[in-house]
Amino acid sequence: MKRLLAALVLASALVGCSSEGDPKPQQTIVVSAATSLTKAFTEIAAAFEEANENTTVQLNFGASSALADQIVGGAPADVFASADAKNMNKLVEADLVGAEEPALFATNLLTIVTKPDNPSAIATLADLSTAGVVSLCGVEVPCGKYAAAALAKAGVTINESKVTRGQNVAATLTAVAEGDAVAGIVYVTDATGNAKVATVAIPEGLNAVASYPIAALTTSSHKTATDAFVAFVNGAVGQKVLQRLGFLPAP
Amino acid sequence: MSRRTPLGVVVLAVIAVAVIALPLFGLLQRAAWSSLWADLTTGEALRALRLSVWTASVAAVGAVMLGTPLAWVLARSRGRWVSAVRSLVLLPMVLPPVVGGVALLAAFSLRTPIGGWLHDTLDIQLTFSPLGVILAQLFVGLPFYVITVEGALRGLDTGYEDVAAQLGASPLTTFRRVVVPLIAPSIAAGAVLSWARALGEFGATLTFAGNIDGRTRTLPLAVYLDLETSRDSAIALSLLLVAVSLLALVALRDRWLVRR
Repeated sequence: MKRLLAALVLASALVGCSSEGDPKPQQTIVVSAATSLTKAFTEIAAAFEEANENTTVQLNFGASSALADQIVGGAPADVFASADAKNMNKLVEADLVGAEEPALFATNLLTIVTKPDNPSAIATLADLSTAGVVSLCGVEVPCGKYAAAALAKAGVTINESKVTRGQNVAATLTAVAEGDAVAGIVYVTDATGNAKVATVAIPEGLNAVASYPIAALTTSSHKTATDAFVAFVNGAVGQKVLQRLGFLPAP
Repeated sequence: MSRRTPLGVVVLAVIAVAVIALPLFGLLQRAAWSSLWADLTTGEALRALRLSVWTASVAAVGAVMLGTPLAWVLARSRGRWVSAVRSLVLLPMVLPPVVGGVALLAAFSLRTPIGGWLHDTLDIQLTFSPLGVILAQLFVGLPFYVITVEGALRGLDTGYEDVAAQLGASPLTTFRRVVVPLIAPSIAAGAVLSWARALGEFGATLTFAGNIDGRTRTLPLAVYLDLETSRDSAIALSLLLVAVSLLALVALRDRWLVRR
């Protein structure tokens, strides 16, 4: 019995000493990002994890408005990437992000999406008011606000009884791609590469420019890693991924 | 509680009640009472309430009209197909509602044979319409009705129907004048149950009928949307739904919950 015990103690000691040198502790950072950043941030996070062996990035996507409310309400997050400044400001006001912290890392434009063959022959924003059921993001979701701004600029009013509101831009796109919505307004980056929808461009003068800020939270317990991630997104690798997926550079 | 109930059992029972009661009390405590009436009477809230009540009512009536014959067939037929059909009909009770919504889309969206035909021939579009809301509510509410009424029919003494037949009544007359009065409480209970289920339907409605103010934005969808825009409004509407659900349970008055 005593020999068995000694053997076990020895074995566990050996296991404890088996790593080369002093291993860096594994850490996980939580990145909450707007739904429109899903493809981009998945790639960026994978690249970041490759470059930083001891860090795992846990991604959490959703409408920026919903995410901001959750974070202010206590949801754990280390980094927040929003699709507009308003939702980032919610965190600044709640002292979760320093006022000078948020850095713009990308911009995006809106586009009209329709069924692949555009059966209703939609060519302008004005056509949306007579098209049938139109899919837009919820009124508080950034893409919903940007769409409202573009429609206002074009002087177009769509009767609310013909608008189905999605809780984030992915749901809004799905209503057109998979559902029966005749058309919708989503980001250019969501529509590119999606074979289930056709796009109708919005003229530059009427389009709304979405600005994406990113910031590390002051409440993060992994300061170095989170700052590194933010820098990574703003750096060469991150920017290349974003531009390849259709985002425009920050001003 | 009898003197012989062990303390451990009591403690667990109290915890069980707490699991249900604490969130409900949390809702009451979080409510903004000063603005409650204002939150409940906004245009959007009233439209959602009106839509929810009338669509759930139509769906409940639909459940009675379609569910009673089905319950009759299931209760009075023999054969292995009976349990197969019953399992099929009861499936929506255990299916995640959003899955129901996806299934409804796959069957009735404009791109399907049925959906396309309805649109081209009868100018009816189910998706994004109150009709779609009713269909989604019927999908989830019908099983509740069928299970209630089938149970009642099974428990019925067929002697009454035999006597009626001997006295010369046609099957339809027997059904109308003998069976229905006997199972009337179960029909009522089933209708209330399916109405309450229809009222609370969220996943299938959102996926199939979409989220259009005044046309398909039922109360649960309005709560979901309000979570981001106005938390107080969401809480107020949630309390309304809790109150309505409680009323439904009172209407059922133990009849569903306690076998007599």
